[in-house]
Amino acid sequence: MEGYDFDEIDFFRRVALSGARALLIGRRALVLLGLPLLTADYDFWVHIDDAAVFNAALYPMGFVATRTPEEARTKGRYALENDEHVDVLVARGVPTVDGVRVAFDDLWARRRTLAVTPGVEVSIPCISDLIATKRFAARPKDLEDIRLLETLKSEDEAS
Amino acid sequence: MSRAIQPATDATRARLKALADKPLPLEEWRRRAAIPLTDDERERTLELVRWFRRRYPTAAERLAYARRAYKRWARPAA
Repeated sequence: MEGYDFDEIDFFRRVALSGARALLIGRRALVLLGLPLLTADYDFWVHIDDAAVFNAALYPMGFVATRTPEEARTKGRYALENDEHVDVLVARGVPTVDGVRVAFDDLWARRRTLAVTPGVEVSIPCISDLIATKRFAARPKDLEDIRLLETLKSEDEAS
Repeated sequence: MSRAIQPATDATRARLKALADKPLPLEEWRRRAAIPLTDDERERTLELVRWFRRRYPTAAERLAYARRAYKRWARPAA
């Protein structure tokens, strides 16, 4: 069913204007870097204190949170849903499968920003940090993404 | 007679997603993660990236491509 037009630029504009410390992670971030991957949803890692602001920014687009910010702080994640699905991570830090703790504040300090359109920027982790986020779960598809990111990283380092 | 390839059904897509999202045993994950990139793999990836960046030079175009590609993939089977 189509039924509705999602304005993706408006979505990112609202996130940017909200002031929430929000990092786009997951495959959509890889697409921005130049990897043509299939992905269904949006994944954000939002600072634990900014979930309410993030939710409020997207509420006018019909996004409803599956948990209150207080519940989300306890669980570490929630989703925003309308016809689109946005997974939101709100932990201060997440361990990788190897037991290395990845801290939001460190990723935020090293973030890259990309202009989605003039005046609308999206923040993503640097490539090394994106690789770290792909080590949160031992999924086969994350292994594939890590190999792609390693290639981009080696290209970046060579140039 | 050749048979046209049909889009995946919802059930097939759900099975594929479940497979892709199912965590591997840690040892197996570590084994696979330790496989080094080959030059050939690296070059194939960079070729794809070069094409994608050339074809869709802006972030907005890349995002729009991803949405179109997913819609095509998710289109209900006839």
